[in-house]
Amino acid sequence: MGEALPVDAVALRDEVRAKYRDVAVNPHGGFHFHTGRSLARRLGYEVAVVARMPESAIEAFAGVGNPFSLGALNPGERVVDLGSGGGFDCFVAAEQVGPNGRVVGVDMTEEMLDRSRTAAAVMGLRNVEFRQGVIEELPIDDGSADVVIRNGVINLCADKRRVFAEVMRVLKPGGRLQFADIANGKEIPARALRNIDLWTD
Amino acid sequence: MLEQSGFIDVRVGPPADTFGGAGGESKARLFEVFGYAFLARKPK
Repeated sequence: MGEALPVDAVALRDEVRAKYRDVAVNPHGGFHFHTGRSLARRLGYEVAVVARMPESAIEAFAGVGNPFSLGALNPGERVVDLGSGGGFDCFVAAEQVGPNGRVVGVDMTEEMLDRSRTAAAVMGLRNVEFRQGVIEELPIDDGSADVVIRNGVINLCADKRRVFAEVMRVLKPGGRLQFADIANGKEIPARALRNIDLWTD
Repeated sequence: MLEQSGFIDVRVGPPADTFGGAGGESKARLFEVFGYAFLARKPK
């Protein structure tokens, strides 16, 4: 029998979907986190990359760190982005892997997929695609990815072990997981962990 | 948890003040929440 989860995974997923639907529709709406170009600069993304990104490709960015800060991707690599949101990290990855590489963004929120697909079309990117799905059951073949990236997503998943198992499934042997996420230095009380609202607010 | 899931060569980057100046800053400060970059590898 698996480890008991602090909250209902499906209920949390619904809450997260609603939150990021709001970000997709109104990225300047005022959230408890920063968004957009100023956030990307704050998190240390390369200045020139941030500067040349069209507003439509970056305004809904809501990451928590820079998954490329511990190493850039290599030309030709196959990349999967979990919880790709408005697509910003996919667009950064697409530039790094170049025309012989491939980036697949996976997101569960229709409004984010609409936004990221539109931005990719505006940018004329041919090495990026977006698929609808949840990160606990990725629409990605076994052993097909050189690199899995994500940004601020696993902290919003109740069953983190399942997510890591899914990442392991889609990575090639020797493949890399490079991601950004939040971590707390002080222990969060058990009662707070069971409060779904506190996961997303 | 990364190593328990089978990943190797785990590296963690320096903290980023993700929530500084945002609405969630006070809660982040309370629990010392920062953003980090992680790198790990699936064994060959």
